[in-house]
Amino acid sequence: MQLPASNTVAAVQTTFLALRQGHWTLDDLHTQAQTLGRDWRHSVTSVLLTGCVCCFVMLTNAAAATAALPQDDSLAVLIDSAIDQQNASNGITAAPQADPETLLRRTTLDLAGRIPTAKERDWYLALPEQTRQSQLVDRLMQLPDFDFHLRNSLDELLLPDRPNDGEFREYLLTAVRERRPWSRMFREMLLAAPAEGPDKGAAQFVKTRVRELDDLTNDTAVLFFGVNISCAKCHDHPLVADWKQDHYYGMQAFFHRTFSSKKNLVLEKPYGGVKFRTTGGEDRDADLMFLTGTVVPDATPSFSDDEKKAVEEQIRRLEREDEAPTLTVSFSPRQALIDAALADQQQQYLARNIVNRTWARLLGTGIVDPPDQMHSGNPASHPELLKTLGADLVQHEYDLRRLIRSLVLTRAYGRSSVWTSDLPAPATQTFALAIARPLTPRQLATSLLVATRSPDSWPAVADTAAQPEQWLQKRTDLENQANGWMREFEQPSRDFQIAVDEALFFSNSDRVQNDLLRDGGDRLVGTLKVAESSRQIAVLLWQTVCSRTPTADETQAVVDWFSRAPERRVNDLQSLAWAVLAGTEFRFNH
Amino acid sequence: MSGKRLISVPTEFAPASLSRRGFLGGAAVGVGGALAADMRAVNGLRAEEIAGELRRGEKHVILLWLAGGASQLETWDPKPGVKTGGPFAAIPTNVSGIEVSELLPKLAQRMQMTAVIRSLNTKIADHGRGADLVERGRLDDPGLRYPDLGAVVAKELGRLESTVPDYVSLYTSTEGRRKGTSGFLGARYAPLFLAENMSPPNSALHEKLTAVEHQDRAALRDLLSKRFSAEHRSSTVGSQNSAYQRVQGMMASAGLFNIEQESAEVRARYGPTQFGEQCLIARRLVEAGVPFVKVARAWWDSHGQNFETHLELCADLDHCMSVLLDDLQERGLLEKTLVITLGEFGRTPGINASLGRDHFASAWSCSLSGMGVRGGVVHGATDREGHTVVDGEASAADLFATILQAVGIDPAHEYMVGSRPTPLADFGAKPIRSVLA
Repeated sequence: MQLPASNTVAAVQTTFLALRQGHWTLDDLHTQAQTLGRDWRHSVTSVLLTGCVCCFVMLTNAAAATAALPQDDSLAVLIDSAIDQQNASNGITAAPQADPETLLRRTTLDLAGRIPTAKERDWYLALPEQTRQSQLVDRLMQLPDFDFHLRNSLDELLLPDRPNDGEFREYLLTAVRERRPWSRMFREMLLAAPAEGPDKGAAQFVKTRVRELDDLTNDTAVLFFGVNISCAKCHDHPLVADWKQDHYYGMQAFFHRTFSSKKNLVLEKPYGGVKFRTTGGEDRDADLMFLTGTVVPDATPSFSDDEKKAVEEQIRRLEREDEAPTLTVSFSPRQALIDAALADQQQQYLARNIVNRTWARLLGTGIVDPPDQMHSGNPASHPELLKTLGADLVQHEYDLRRLIRSLVLTRAYGRSSVWTSDLPAPATQTFALAIARPLTPRQLATSLLVATRSPDSWPAVADTAAQPEQWLQKRTDLENQANGWMREFEQPSRDFQIAVDEALFFSNSDRVQNDLLRDGGDRLVGTLKVAESSRQIAVLLWQTVCSRTPTADETQAVVDWFSRAPERRVNDLQSLAWAVLAGTEFRFNH
Repeated sequence: MSGKRLISVPTEFAPASLSRRGFLGGAAVGVGGALAADMRAVNGLRAEEIAGELRRGEKHVILLWLAGGASQLETWDPKPGVKTGGPFAAIPTNVSGIEVSELLPKLAQRMQMTAVIRSLNTKIADHGRGADLVERGRLDDPGLRYPDLGAVVAKELGRLESTVPDYVSLYTSTEGRRKGTSGFLGARYAPLFLAENMSPPNSALHEKLTAVEHQDRAALRDLLSKRFSAEHRSSTVGSQNSAYQRVQGMMASAGLFNIEQESAEVRARYGPTQFGEQCLIARRLVEAGVPFVKVARAWWDSHGQNFETHLELCADLDHCMSVLLDDLQERGLLEKTLVITLGEFGRTPGINASLGRDHFASAWSCSLSGMGVRGGVVHGATDREGHTVVDGEASAADLFATILQAVGIDPAHEYMVGSRPTPLADFGAKPIRSVLA
């Protein structure tokens, strides 16, 4: 990074000093920021690194409260400032930046859902060092790969038990391609309204849970708001002071009227509420209460007994008959929940949750960890930063792309995952050391398919830009092919452990032996077959599979391998390729 | 090739794994130390017990998991003649004073082997969390995933150098995707889950490879993964290497799943049903030294037509469990094997409009037979119609502790998870003494 001009540093220091002493208003800050222009972000970093903690707190408070949020390219700098500042005050030195090949592989896996091709690697290494990462990020975010992978990530988050729900996946892809705001997607998924068209699949979030009210209630709280209130069902949460039975049943009240018709449409009954018994033995009607404690007025009109009878009959028919007349309601509790969540300017549960989940996906662990434990008893590692990022997301119309782009441009994201210092390795939530993350089933499947084809079978970077339609077709095929492989792998969970089943699959299955290791001219093994020397084989293999040049030891291992069998039989080539594909390095995003 | 050990050993204890052809020489030392620090703490605490290996591999648990929740009223706690009782009678057993449902006539003649607990109150009546609770004896805390019974038994009773898997979970077509979890104990104790058919998938050598090629390739993989594993020490990275180190052993033990190796007479005795065949596999596995086998029988979730459902499923349970107990006894294995029938909960005494019984976790039953169990006793009681426990109430934690105690594992023993001492059974769990021998 360029060092800021010293006069800029001085100007920023003056600004903060003035702010701290209460001499300046936020408008003054605005003006000053504009005066400083682009250098502002560098200066902030510099000032913060000199140890001015309270300045940072003031900055983020101000940012959260007003429009004084950083401009596009400075969000990444703000994140690094917060992390570096906290580490500096705790005496933690972060790992250096990862080498370019590692960063290329990591960024491509995170933005495109696959490893880079050998041609992409050549392109990347030829870029000027200063702008390499941002050029890479900008290119990847324009590829269809980005939409596929973001879709897949949201799918894995929201329907973890249904990895191949076609309707839901189609909806998510449409929404991601159209760059819909997360708030809109949230609304569409909870409203579960359209019966036809590409948005039909939005209803799957509710539809797949509609028979278990507890699942619908708790999964919504966990996946959209980052809070797990299930313990508060039977009693006030024993460990978390924030969560009372009123919260659980308050959340449930928004879903209580939801039911599905015989035609599998998500509908709501026009009246009805949740009753529960408190641990004190008192019977209580649950309010429509959001997590913040805000109670939504119940605008349900009153129904006479005759009207109720007619409604009950209509519901009975809807549940049993395909052609029953539909039911319209004047007050929808699910709509009320959506409104309440979007109106939550104070705690911004919806925004902070997706910020934290995106952060966890890209950096290996969340600012709040576990991600469904956002409450006062489990504070964020960087609370002000989380607030700021939440506010920034809201201000920028819940644009997930802006958030993702900023995160992968941080130095925190770009750090090495190897700890070489003699000091003990820093804790994960310091973000001072990158974390090796297991690939998701789709990342692994897609990467295997990329790695085991001949490197020449992939287009050059210039061609994907010149002929986007062709690449879209190729990438769509890849995505579809991956469907058939991903079932062999497990979705990573917390403290994920790779099962022996996977090693058995790699070791003994027909598919790996006869498909991945096939030796045709368009395949990896076929390419290795025509290489001239063991050394050339090593280079080709490591560049294609591990996206890097082999080390001297690795090259030597290949030379040794073939010194025993100089004729280089196909079996020996396959075994070598297998050993790298089944190796630990390939299995992780590191 | 010393890599014949089956279960992957915590790698700091692993001997060098060398290729037979010797291609890699001494370089192929098992990817040492790739386990995370927290796992080292878990394993390290128990290191002194590794010396006492002799007793291991000799005790077994077979869990007959009644997935979906079997009705206590149609099995161990019949209530004939009351409003909630349903159409079936209670019959006397070969232990005077104990009656069970008439749907279990064969088990009724084997009551001396079995203790019944009629007073479970586990409170959670939804499938997923109910099963989590019963299988782990507690619910996860935020940030702490507990191992289930199979994983704890595998860890406590498995032999490090064993040549068989130590936790096998046999599939059923209807139980869904519950695989069992080894929680903080990590992949080493995760179940071998048979998801597709009755033999472990991908356990045979591929026709295009020789055994030597297979081993050489694995040794090369280990060598090439060494640097990355040393630079990235986490339990997840370690688990990938552990998984590959178990491959040889898994392949060697695949024959245990082949019941065609049993005589026609034995197979006929168990019967041609899936549950029967899986019970036979379970017997073969424990005979070979596998500490924990779960055989799931589904789907007991009789919200409608409870009585027809139980008529069919109880007949299967009654027959298969009786044969299993007899077979274990005849082979001298019953005194070393605990057989459990258990599900995630029982069913409501109230009979709904579809003649079904719904989820019910506040007064239900399970059974324990064989090792460490005082046969021919009933613990606890429910009220006249079966709505509540009136005597000997037991929680999921109490049951978990009872099971551990029966096979000689101290339920109060603690694992260190990081700096947090964590007892095998939940805090406050009390073994049910009256059913223990």
